Order: sequence, then C-alpha cells, then structure tokens
Amino acid sequence: MNIHTYEKIWLAVAMVLIVGFIATVTYGAVGPGIAMIDDDGGTIDPDTINDDERFSDPGVTHVGGNEYEATVVAQAWSYTPSEITVPANSTVTFYVTSRDVTHSFTVAGTNVNTMVVPGQVSQMTVEFDEPGEYGILCNEYCGAYHHTMEGELNVVPQDEFDLTELSTDAPSEAQLGNQTTINTTVSNDMNYDLETTATLEIGDQPLDQDVTVPAHGSETVEFAVDTTDLGTGDHDWTVTVDGHEESDTLTVTNATEGGDGDA
Amino acid sequence: MSSAIEKGVDGKHPTDGTDQVRELGHDEYDPIGTAILVGIYFLILVALWIFMYFVEFLGNGPTVTGVLLTVVGIA
Amino acid sequence: MAMRNAYIDQFPKEARVIRAILWSSFLALTIGGTLGLIQGLHRTNILRFIPSQDYYTVLTAHGVLLVITFTIFFLVGIFTWAVTTSLDRGVEDIRFTWGWYIMMVIGTILVGVSILGGVVEQIPMNADVLFTFYSPLQAHPAFYIGLVLFVVGSWLAGVDWFRMWWAWKKENPDERIPLPTFMALTTMLFWYLSSLGVAISILAFLLPWSLGIIDSVNPLLTRTLFWFFGHPVVYFWLMPAYMLWYTMLPKISGGKLFSDPLARVVFVLFLILSTPVGIHHQYLDPGIAEGFKFIAMTNTMFLLLPSLLTAFTVVASMEHGARQRGGDGYLSWLKALPWRDPVFTGMALAGLMFAAGGFSGMINAGLNINYLVHNSWWVVGHFHLTVGTAVALTFMAASYWFMPQLTGKELWNRSVALVQVVLWFIGMTFMSNAMHRAGLFGMPRRTAEPQYQGFNFEPAVGTVGEINAQVALGAVLLTISVYLFIVNMVLTTVGGSSSDAIPDNTYAGTLSGPEDSPVILDNLKLWTSIAVVLVIIAYSLPLASIIDAGGLFGPGIDAWKPSVVADPTLVLESIRGVMF
Repeated sequence: MNIHTYEKIWLAVAMVLIVGFIATVTYGAVGPGIAMIDDDGGTIDPDTINDDERFSDPGVTHVGGNEYEATVVAQAWSYTPSEITVPANSTVTFYVTSRDVTHSFTVAGTNVNTMVVPGQVSQMTVEFDEPGEYGILCNEYCGAYHHTMEGELNVVPQDEFDLTELSTDAPSEAQLGNQTTINTTVSNDMNYDLETTATLEIGDQPLDQDVTVPAHGSETVEFAVDTTDLGTGDHDWTVTVDGHEESDTLTVTNATEGGDGDA
Repeated sequence: MSSAIEKGVDGKHPTDGTDQVRELGHDEYDPIGTAILVGIYFLILVALWIFMYFVEFLGNGPTVTGVLLTVVGIA
Repeated sequence: MAMRNAYIDQFPKEARVIRAILWSSFLALTIGGTLGLIQGLHRTNILRFIPSQDYYTVLTAHGVLLVITFTIFFLVGIFTWAVTTSLDRGVEDIRFTWGWYIMMVIGTILVGVSILGGVVEQIPMNADVLFTFYSPLQAHPAFYIGLVLFVVGSWLAGVDWFRMWWAWKKENPDERIPLPTFMALTTMLFWYLSSLGVAISILAFLLPWSLGIIDSVNPLLTRTLFWFFGHPVVYFWLMPAYMLWYTMLPKISGGKLFSDPLARVVFVLFLILSTPVGIHHQYLDPGIAEGFKFIAMTNTMFLLLPSLLTAFTVVASMEHGARQRGGDGYLSWLKALPWRDPVFTGMALAGLMFAAGGFSGMINAGLNINYLVHNSWWVVGHFHLTVGTAVALTFMAASYWFMPQLTGKELWNRSVALVQVVLWFIGMTFMSNAMHRAGLFGMPRRTAEPQYQGFNFEPAVGTVGEINAQVALGAVLLTISVYLFIVNMVLTTVGGSSSDAIPDNTYAGTLSGPEDSPVILDNLKLWTSIAVVLVIIAYSLPLASIIDAGGLFGPGIDAWKPSVVADPTLVLESIRGVMF
C-alpha cells in the first residue's frame, strides 16, 4: 500500500501520542495512587438498606488512627447524612448506595465523584489534607427535583473534630422538695476512650462530673438536681460536653399543685 | 458506469468564480502544508493534555486513592 | 449544452424518498434546536418560563430528536444517495425503501408523543428519562416500542444497501467496492453489532418491565448494555460526516481525495474498534472491576488513530484542491480555498471544530482524569463540538449541495447559507468553550437549576455569570443559525423552478485509488469477525460479573416513573415513612 511519507510520519506521531496518553494515566495510578471506583463495594438489595450494618445508621465512624469510614444513603432527592464532617489529615473510606434510582455523589470542585447505582455499593477512599467546606451535589438525573439534591462536606481542623454525641433525658416538671435527675448519655464513636467532663448548668451552680466513655460506646451521666435549692418556677438548663450542648427547661412546681407528694 | 462517475467531471458550481488553474497528479503533490498544520495540532494537543492532567486534574483537591495492589486486583 | 445530470435526473424515485427522509431529519433538527434554546436560557437563570420539572422533558426531547432522529434520518438518506450513486444502480425495490422509512417515522411519532406526555396532561404517558433512559427510571412502553421501530427501520435500510451491493457484485465480480458504498456497508456492519446491546436491553428487559411482564431489572446491567451501544452510536453519527469529508469535500475544494486506501483503513478501524470501548462511559460506575475499565481505555485510545489519520487525509485533500486552484506557499494556500462556497466553508469549519472536540474526547477517554469531568458540563461542551458541529454543521453544509441535487432547483440564497454556517461556528465557540470551562469547576450537566443553597462554584478563572452569559449568547446564535438553515431549505424546495445549472451528481476522484489498496481491505467478513471477537473479549467478563453479582433481573428494585410531582415535601415524607 502506497502511503505518503508525511502521512507515515503522522501515523507514528499519532501512535506516540496515544501511548503517551495511556502512560500518563498509568502514572496517575502509580504515582499519586489514584484508584477507580470498582466492584469492591459489592452488591446490596435496596430493600434491606435499613437492616444493613453499614447503612442502618449512616454517618461517620472512626476506624483507628487517622482512618474513618463514612456511609451515605442517596435517594431522590437527598443524602443521608446530608452533612458530613471529617477531620483534616484523615483518610476516609466512603460507602455510598442508593435507595431508588441512579444518583451521583459528587464533592463539587474536587475529584471525589462517583456514580451511585441501586443494587451496588460505591466504595472509595479519599485523603483529606486541609480543612475546607465543600458542597455535595448529584450530577446524574434522578427525577423532577434532581437539581435540589445537595449536601455538605466539612473538613475541620483536627482539634475541632470529635464523634461525640449527647442525648439527654430530663423531666419537664418536678415537684419542689423532690429529688430529680437529668440523665445525659454521651456516645463516642472514636476508636479510643473519651475522658472528659460533663457539666450541667442549672440555677446558679454548675455541676461537673468526670466521665469516661468507651470507644464506640456510650456512658450515661446522672446529674442530681436539688429542687429545693432551685425554688419554684422555670429554670433553663444546659448540659455541655466538649463543646456539645443540649438545653431545655425544668419547671419546679409547688407540692400542692398536682400529683401526690409529701408536704 | 461507475468508473465514469468516480473519476468524475468536476461539476462546476454555477456561481463559483474561481477555476482550476493547474493539475497536480499523485507524484507531483507534496502535502507540506498539511504536515505543518497537523504538526501544530500535535503540539497543541500535547500542551493541553499536560495542562489538563497535571494542573487541572492533579490540582483539583481531594482525589480517590487506593493501594496499587487493590488497583490490579491482587489484594 | 449538456443535459442536466443531477441525482433527480439519474434516480428520480430514490430522490423522492431521500427528500422525504431529509425533511424528517430537518424537522427534528429544528424542533430539537429550539428546545436547546429554552434549556440554555433556563439553566443559566436568564429566562425561565417553564417549571424546572418540565426542563427534563425538554431535555429528553432535545437529546432524542437531535442525536437519534435528526442524525440517523440524515444518515439513511445520505447513504442511500451514496450507494446508488457509486454503484450506479437504483434500489432493488423502492417499496421496501419506503417501508423502512415509514417504519422509522412511526417509531419517531411514538417516541415523540410519549415524551410530549411529560408536559401535556391530556397525554397519559411519560418518558422523562433522557436520551439514556437509565433504569430504574421507567418510561411508558410507547417510548421503548418507538425506539425499537426506529432502530429496526435503520437495520432494514442497511439490508436495502447490502442487497444492492450483492446484485452489483454479481455483475462486477472483479471490481473493488466503490468507496462511498464501502463506507456505508462498514458503518452498517458495526451498527448491527453495536445496536444489539441496546436492542437486548429494551426487548429483554426494559420493554417487558414497562408492560408489567417482568417485575424488576438490574440497573447496572441495562446501563452497561446501553453503553455497549452508546459509544458506537457516536461513530454512527460521525461516519456519514467522514464520508462527506472524504468523498465530497476534496471535490468542492477543487481537488481529489488524497488516499482511497487510507480511507478504507480508517473505516475498517472503526468497524473493529467502535464497540469494545463502551465502558469508558462507566469509569465511575461501581460493580465493574478496574481491569475492565483499563481495557476499555486502551481500546478507546487506539480508536483515536482513525480520526487522527482522517485529519491528515482530509486536510491533504483540501490542500491539493487549493494548490490546483493556484494556491502556494507553506500555509498561504489556505487563502485559495473556496471560502465563499457555504458547502466548503461549513464543512471546513466543522472539521476545524472537530479538532477541538477531538481533544476534549481524548480527555474523556482517560481513565482516572474522568473524576474531573464525569457528568459535568465539560462533557456537554465536548459533544456539542462533535455531534453538534462536526456532524450537524457538515450535514447542513452538505444539504446546500444535496437539496438542489434532489429537487433540481437552485439553492435559494448562497449568502444566507454562508452566514448560517459561520454563525453556527461562532455560536458554538461561545457556548462550548464556556461549557468546557464550567465543567472544570464542577458545574453539572443535565440539571435544570445548577444554583445550590449550601455552596457556590469557585471558578479558578472568570465567573459563573460570564460563563452563563456566553452559553446563552451561543444558544441564541445557534438558534438563529438553524432557522436560517431551515428557511433556506424550505424556500429552495417550494420556491423557484427547475434549473439546468445544477452540477452533475458526482463525488471526488482520488490521487491514490482503490487499485493501490490491498484487496483484503474489502474483505468485510474478516473485519466483522475480528470486530465480534474484540467485543466478546471486552464484554463477556464484565457482563458475566454484573449478572453473577446482581442477578439478571436485579434484586427486586422498584420502577421509578418520573412524573410531575406537585409537592416534593409530600413525596419526601412518604419516602421517609417507608424508610423508618
């Protein structure tokens, strides 16, 4: 076959270009270590998402050291959790699945971008170096309100990050003279025990209690409240643990109002 | 006949002013202009590819990573 | 004075059906293009007069009308011209030809009405599923049936051309296949192979599912079968444009095709390589191993080769014409090209734009860099350069030559045609460039309102405002351009009278003809076999793995029928009720 010399040269140049592109992409896999989404996440039946150990309580958990896992459920038209917070200098493995149709989980302005297909779990590991605030959006059409589907990803400085949550059980009313308690359950999803202090502010005297919450566990702090000291009326209280707060109001009533009580 | 059509009479466009001035056969013609143009195109492609990959892509913040062993499916 | 020898004189019956086919194509182009303007103004928040939920109906229509209806009707029309002209014989049975055309029309009507149901309450159908119709999104059965009829009609068009070729071969046993016919046949061969994927997806899964015959489908499986077809379809759009660049453009430039053998090589490469690459549209999909994605990438990268070769051969053919017209120098021969001819200028600008689109395609082919661009507006910028210009503008420019050939009447206005093609190029430059840039900072595609509550996009250069302005400006210029085109076509056809000044129906001669190309290139059976083997290698393991892991019909995933929902909060509440 008669090919002009210039075109033969161009043919060789084109091959060099093609090989160069493949080589660059391969470098990306080997050097910076970029990996593609693949079948590591496995399959799932969307009807069993609520019972799946990964997705029954979606959110961030601490695996150990700087490693975290974030599980996310996408559905038309929201993400659960809709706000994800992780610390800087962490390595986070995301597990994302869909309840209904195909979505994406895309952190706008970054290379964190995956399809989320019902029946499949998308698994990806990302290193977060610097603090920052990012939006999460869905870029795969998923129905009439596709454009409203968004979330937030916050990468906070390490010293501002914890996986501590509070859940307080407190009565709204108590009788004057009766002992009453405010119970706060402190849960800790880090991989190590949390040694801290819980503080209840009610009336003029703060009450402190030291507490050790086990790794991936919880501990309940009982605050004994002296209603006689408080007196009748509405008393706002706040429980604080490591900057997390819960507040409500305790109304102390007279002995003669309602219920049976002592004098 | 197909050969008559294939070697074709150059149909002149009715309002086309310019005509063929000379005939260039297979052996007289060297597409040097084409070589230059595709050469320029090649340089643009290389420059843009390097920019896109190393600046836009690798500079685009947090990225999905993995151990090479899992990438090739060994681990 | 010689008797006129235009196509309508040589093949009057075929000219009639091709005219009908091109009118179907132009109608789809005009409607689809107008919808594009609505989208461009809506998502940039410059002018919104439809509810955002209807945006997705508009987008479905825009996609289907432009990349299925417009392009494929044009292809079957132009290939009918190409095969009859180059074999110098009519179709075997004109009724068969009308038959497949009407089948395609019926298919189009079914699809169109089902999509229209998304905005017209009186039509109890919905197909707000976009051109890719990914399950579990589910359309009305009419949508799927319409697509099937349209595609099967195109298969029958191929049968029409193969029959002509077999009859011609019996009478010309030692001749090489004329180049235009060679191109049409190789294109149809990979079309048959590739459309199998979407045919199976629809006939075995999506259609029975929409009729209630089966309960559920495997979304990843149907998605993979779609992309089995979804990449080769872009070459189905491109091959007619390449055919026009190889067999028309050299002649219009005043010269000859630089190399017939290389043109054959290019089409053979497309036959063997177009299909085993579809997974490059699924680089970010779960459920597909990275190794399969890497194979798809290497196949895709090699698929750059026929296009890069085309660049050389086509430009060399143009240079030949320029030099025959008196041009010389290293680059000043460019001035000697017939820039006042809208057929030439349209095709040349389309080719130039394709060079840019080719680059963004090279990026799209890259495996890991896909994280940057997947489902962003970059992709939309890319395909408006390729199908939107390389293909669409070439088709429009070629029509300025074809309509006179098919009607025997002169083009209504050459200056308007020249303005039209230049306006398209300028409009697309603004719009596509802005889309590419927007994709780089994460602006998504397929979204009615890319304005989010919790965050703003942060362009490294420029602002979202100026990007939106350029997209809207581009959309307006493109719409004006498409209307200039359709007006010219209408007035050419209905106005004026028969003219003797129509040039003969011919196509380009060659500097290096088929006699210089190895006979093995014409061995269509060989290349088809290789194509099949490559597809089996690329797809059998991924498909087996998807079916094995997720089931042929999935684990029982509910259908999602998109419909206009009155109050999203009610929907979300009912979903949360199901969740907990």
